[in-house]
Amino acid sequence: MRREKHIRWLIAPALVLLAAGTLYPVIYSGYLSLLQWNWGSEAKFVGLRNFVRILSGSGFPKALFNTFYFAVFAVVIETFLGLGLALAINRIRIGAGLIRTLMILPLMVSGIAVSLIWKVMLDPTLGIVNYLLSLVGIPGPAWLGTVPTAMPSIIMIDTWWQTAFTFIILSSALKSLPAEPFEAARLEGATPFQTFRFVTLPMLKPVLITVIIFRTIDTLKVFDIIFGTTGGGPLRATESVQTLAYQTAFKSYKFGESAAIAVVFSLIILVLCIIYLVIDTDDGEKA
Amino acid sequence: MSRSSSSRHALWPYAVALVAVVISLFPIYWILTIALKNRVDAFAMPPVWLFSPVWENFGKAWSSTGFSGAFFNSLIVCAIGNVLALAAGIPAAYYLNRKRVPGRRTILIWLLISYMLPEFLFIVPMYVLFQSVGLYDTVIGLALIYQVFTLPFTIWLLRAFFADIPEALAEAARLEGASTLRIIWTIYVPIAAPGIAATVILNSIKMWNELTIALALTFEKAQTVTLAVAGFRGYASIDWGAMSAASIIIILPMALFAILAQRRIVQGLSLGAVK
Repeated sequence: MRREKHIRWLIAPALVLLAAGTLYPVIYSGYLSLLQWNWGSEAKFVGLRNFVRILSGSGFPKALFNTFYFAVFAVVIETFLGLGLALAINRIRIGAGLIRTLMILPLMVSGIAVSLIWKVMLDPTLGIVNYLLSLVGIPGPAWLGTVPTAMPSIIMIDTWWQTAFTFIILSSALKSLPAEPFEAARLEGATPFQTFRFVTLPMLKPVLITVIIFRTIDTLKVFDIIFGTTGGGPLRATESVQTLAYQTAFKSYKFGESAAIAVVFSLIILVLCIIYLVIDTDDGEKA
Repeated sequence: MSRSSSSRHALWPYAVALVAVVISLFPIYWILTIALKNRVDAFAMPPVWLFSPVWENFGKAWSSTGFSGAFFNSLIVCAIGNVLALAAGIPAAYYLNRKRVPGRRTILIWLLISYMLPEFLFIVPMYVLFQSVGLYDTVIGLALIYQVFTLPFTIWLLRAFFADIPEALAEAARLEGASTLRIIWTIYVPIAAPGIAATVILNSIKMWNELTIALALTFEKAQTVTLAVAGFRGYASIDWGAMSAASIIIILPMALFAILAQRRIVQGLSLGAVK
């Protein structure tokens, strides 16, 4: 234990990289958010004016609403689907490994390829999806092209892409649960639903909460699949906070305003994480 | 649905699995068929299910503006990024695996927060910095910035793998006079090799597929595969065949990874989420 004190320098390279990669940008973003600075022109200190502008304008509140709309539906659907699939496939004896391998393939596909694949499949006239719907007599919508259907389409695409994540983690968690409580439930004559409700679910809860936190943070940061499909349109119906920050920084070159968006958004995510963690530990104490 | 007595031989889980597998694979299969069809068949409605494959779309995709160069850029970024993440991450994970070291809790929270940051909080500052020091649009710059998400993930994961290694092994080596670096190199690294492999695979997938940062911090020279594929998106008349072929080309390496290393990927993902 004495010699362990001399291992301090082991952490040094990581700390230097972390500081350069996160601490510096966070501080610099905070500073940038107080400037009126369009890349290439003189920077001017404007105090909180960027924050007032983004919060009172229509772009940022709209993007924030869209982002939460997307995140809530995507996380809820992916968690339920992933849990359901994990429970079902947990009952399979033969070929479960192969099934898991095939089901995680969407997760390996980059967001941009995912968006191109779905753009092709959801094309209103030439796409396979509307063709298949027409076979059963349903006229398919213009999916990504109209305001009411655009965001649900994006949610559907994300569900195809990321359900494998919730599935694979809940699946390995299920496999590692101890057998005794299930035996006890069976001996006491519990119905499958009771077993799930009072045995499986409580034991899965910590992993379930972690999965939900991971997916929430990831969905709030949605960028690739929107950039690749709609670019935020039609009429900003799919504009997310990150696509807006991209537009503001690299299309309009308003660096100060983009930094203000990033700062406000980071604070919102931070608060959400803290709330989640508090809920998590509260329940842990009760159990 | 008849009584649970035969739940051991129930067929419905297989039916669910079949549907799930078909839905998971169909889009990838469909884009592959479009990549292999000629222009007429690709647009045919009703779709042509049987056709003789043509390979010209792959040739077009590969030789289109900058695609092959982008492919190699991505390979180099992944290589440098992995070396960096492991070089800084292995010692850090060893350090944080020890219970009584200074700053342990703070650093662990810091790692979690870096996972949480939205990209644009660090992209804009990095853009300004890279423009002034000449790292903008370079492969090195991109690999350097990818450590913002690969390093925390690496440390987090390796710490979980290191935790399974009995400390008695390190103690014994220490009594023999081995230095800490030697202990890490000859005991921890070999024992945690499967974990390191899982980390490298997951980091490679992330870096290979990353779009947002590459979009903001490269322009032409250091363009990556995701950007090259995104380039197919914007044209007025999209070349569906070439676009599909390009998508397949970038999916292929990672899909092969997934099939060959399914166990490691699952192990890495679930350790990252659970511990």
